[in-house]
Amino acid sequence: MAGNRLPEFDRGKAVSLRCEGEPVRAFAGENIAVALYARGAGVLSRSLKYHRPRSFFCLEGHCGACLMRIGGVPNLRACMEPCAEGLSVEGQNAYPSPDMDVLGAVDWLFPDGMNHHTLMTGSRLLNQVVSKVVRQLSGLGTLPGSPEPATACESPAWDELEVDVLVVGGGPAGLAAAEASAAAGARTVVCDEHDRPGGSLLADPRHGPRDAAGRADAARRAGARALLRTTFIGHYPEDGGVLLLAGPDRLTRVRARQVVYATGGYAQTLLFANNDRPGVMAARAVGRLLVRYGVAPAGRVCLVIGRDADRDQTDALAAALVAAGSEVVTVDERREQILAARGRVWVSALEVAGADGQVRRVPCNMVAVAAPPSPASEGPRQHGCEVDLRPSEGGFAVVADRDGRTSVAGILACGDVCGATTAERAAAAGTRAGRAAAAGAGAR
Amino acid sequence: MGLAGPRPTGARGRVAAIDATSPLPARAEVAIIGAGVMGLSIAYNLAARGLTDVVVFERGYLAEGASGRNGGGVRQQWSTAHNVRLMQESVELCRSFAVELGVNVWFRQGGYLFLARSAPEVARLERNAALQARLGLPTRMLDQDGAREIVPELDPTGILAASFNPSDGILFPWPFLWGYAQRAADMGVKIYTFTGVRSIEREADGGFAVASTAGTVRARRVVAAAGAWSPEVARMVGVELPTYPIRHEICSSEPLKPFLGPMVSELNSGLYFSQSMRGEIVGGVSLPPEVTYSTRSTLRFLTTYARRLCAVVPRLGDVKVLRQWAGAYDMSPDGNPILGCAPEAAEFYLCCGFVGHGFMMAPAVGKHYAEWLTGGARHEIFDRFRIDRLRGGGGAPVGEREDFNIG
Amino acid sequence: MSAGERRRGKVIVCRCEDVTLKDVRHSIALGYADIEEVKRYTGFGTGPCQGKECHGLIASILASEGGRDPASIEPFTARSPISPTPLRLLAGSPDAASDVADDEDG
Repeated sequence: MAGNRLPEFDRGKAVSLRCEGEPVRAFAGENIAVALYARGAGVLSRSLKYHRPRSFFCLEGHCGACLMRIGGVPNLRACMEPCAEGLSVEGQNAYPSPDMDVLGAVDWLFPDGMNHHTLMTGSRLLNQVVSKVVRQLSGLGTLPGSPEPATACESPAWDELEVDVLVVGGGPAGLAAAEASAAAGARTVVCDEHDRPGGSLLADPRHGPRDAAGRADAARRAGARALLRTTFIGHYPEDGGVLLLAGPDRLTRVRARQVVYATGGYAQTLLFANNDRPGVMAARAVGRLLVRYGVAPAGRVCLVIGRDADRDQTDALAAALVAAGSEVVTVDERREQILAARGRVWVSALEVAGADGQVRRVPCNMVAVAAPPSPASEGPRQHGCEVDLRPSEGGFAVVADRDGRTSVAGILACGDVCGATTAERAAAAGTRAGRAAAAGAGAR
Repeated sequence: MGLAGPRPTGARGRVAAIDATSPLPARAEVAIIGAGVMGLSIAYNLAARGLTDVVVFERGYLAEGASGRNGGGVRQQWSTAHNVRLMQESVELCRSFAVELGVNVWFRQGGYLFLARSAPEVARLERNAALQARLGLPTRMLDQDGAREIVPELDPTGILAASFNPSDGILFPWPFLWGYAQRAADMGVKIYTFTGVRSIEREADGGFAVASTAGTVRARRVVAAAGAWSPEVARMVGVELPTYPIRHEICSSEPLKPFLGPMVSELNSGLYFSQSMRGEIVGGVSLPPEVTYSTRSTLRFLTTYARRLCAVVPRLGDVKVLRQWAGAYDMSPDGNPILGCAPEAAEFYLCCGFVGHGFMMAPAVGKHYAEWLTGGARHEIFDRFRIDRLRGGGGAPVGEREDFNIG
Repeated sequence: MSAGERRRGKVIVCRCEDVTLKDVRHSIALGYADIEEVKRYTGFGTGPCQGKECHGLIASILASEGGRDPASIEPFTARSPISPTPLRLLAGSPDAASDVADDEDG
């Protein structure tokens, strides 16, 4: 069972991928992971050590579970690569294929795990053998093929950008910050790693692409410039402070008077056995499948509401899934202990236990895990901003005041990166931070 | 031993290598400052020779210093006979480490390939290769084709010649620390992380009062194995060291299936890169030296490295960098380490100045130091590398300058 | 681990490196309990996602299992590039040293 593409959904023109030699129907507005999911629930890759089957978990480029060889390039995130006509898609680290990997036996042979630090240290000969075997099995993708002479290590020139305010992240907080900053007269640029602005709005049935586009338009009308498919990859203190952005085919070096980090959070999992099974994915990923890509899970979704999950959000997701034709059953971590996912290469059931210890099986073919996203605080941490570990809010949240000012002058933060929050609060915080940033940059 | 109760155990009933609950003993025979690979190698080797009354102080987390930041290179291609011999010994110890200490270090002898792009560089490699061959190494000179036979992905442009020693290799550094620490702890050595040494006072009986953030230990002898931070430690007993830190940066790619056999290095740029046991391409390049302890990474490094690496192996263009980091090379004025005691501080043993290749030498140096400190043979390195030579003589033989300090 | 737990399967805490909850507990038992030490011993956070998914989760585990106040746990160093970046893009930079430096002397 896979995914049903909803009718009357704008997903761009039809294209055909070549996946392991077979043609796969896809659309230009989809990414590879979505297209493969719609084709039929499949294993995309095998894990590094135990060769466990893997499919996407977060569907937004942050979990490392969907790495495939795409267009001859290894270790690309299938959820971030747009579908194109004739694009070749191959699995990695699996023989003969991700679905049927012979080395999957390793996982079965070591049910308790395998401590590779102490493996086969008993004898010199065995140790030499195991070293050679481990080396052969190491790594994920293989080296890319020889480049065409013309493009051999073609190094495109870099862009330079000087702005008053750089907003990192184009979700609800970032778009609001960009709009407010630009409206206050600051030269404002907002960057987002995805091909469309909106961030978590695109995964939320209460908001969605139109809402996101509206906010992005508002920011543009206010004078903010948006850089899409552009990821913030680091702050370097050289030359007075450089912010490095990576686009699909070039890098941009930015100098900014003020930076607003609205980077949101990374989808996080919950702890239970086989929580990495294909079909177990972030609730937000399910939301994104439905809302952004118009693909409804066929069959039964078991929605796991984590202890600290946003219940309004999970309610909305459940209702939207039902409206789209999926069957939804809910499990609440506050009432039942989540024990294990079952299923050989794709999830087929979730085992839970009530307070009385009774174990029950919930048959399903998708498990949507709802937990607070983990604040994407790398950027602020590189500046030296203070962070606080707040387990119930996802992880290391950036400490910021009501206007988004962090412990470092000139660096602001708002939205989920300051601790998991709602889209409304994120937008309100973004507006305040945008104004504060513009003021800090000395805008009129 | 001063223990309050039974030590916590890990798997299979082993003691914890680092026991945060164990109180500092009041006395110890030897206090070692620095739980990097040198300090831990010395600690382990002392204990293996029966001297278990040892305390090791580490002010940060285990592997915080250069021992946790290097690229794992292990080479015998040096320009001085003493370094070649020391490394031949270390290579043998690396080969048996996993079985002897019970931790895999993934030592793989895939060789080191040095590339020369000018006549003087070729001459340098030839001179070194001849020395190494005399000392029994299988180092040989190769032409451009020969280099490409070993690494077919190399862009041949500008490569005049190369030297290759197939018995050089690469290891994974962190397990050395765990292996030495665990075995030393099994034998009774106490290792304290997050425990910095604040001061060292000389006692009337000739011993030392080592005052740390967790209390004071009275030790008969002290080993200063604090790497680039040795000057700070040595100053506590009035010894001025002429060593200084130079930041070296390094980075790692995403994991790839194995394809690269040797560590490859080109002399002109200081570029070096190899494929780790995890499949990552790990490497660095030379930049204008900066004297600093800072481990912050720079954009200049990353881009310079990318440019050189893409020129040397064009197929790596589409391979992605995952992370970059940095560590301090512990520099000495003549490129050689400082070992033994300074005349003004008896029983205060120095172990520093390894100019970025301390890790690979630690198995051998640790063994020799332990031999000497337990009444065994005193290896010639403890004479050759006395600090006296840097102060204008004083009886110590002058060490030849090592000029092959690269990656 | 109970027989029931063992039968159920591995609890994966770091997806990229196949680190299990058991691995994290083992590291702590060996005395490598600081987040930087757990990272190095287990390998969590060193894979393609560089800790995006697992960093907060494992830090929270260290707090709850070690009986530590979450405020006492610092994150590990945030290293660039924050997202995997092709070498070829980095090679085109004006930041790169234009002349190759001489190798280190001494």
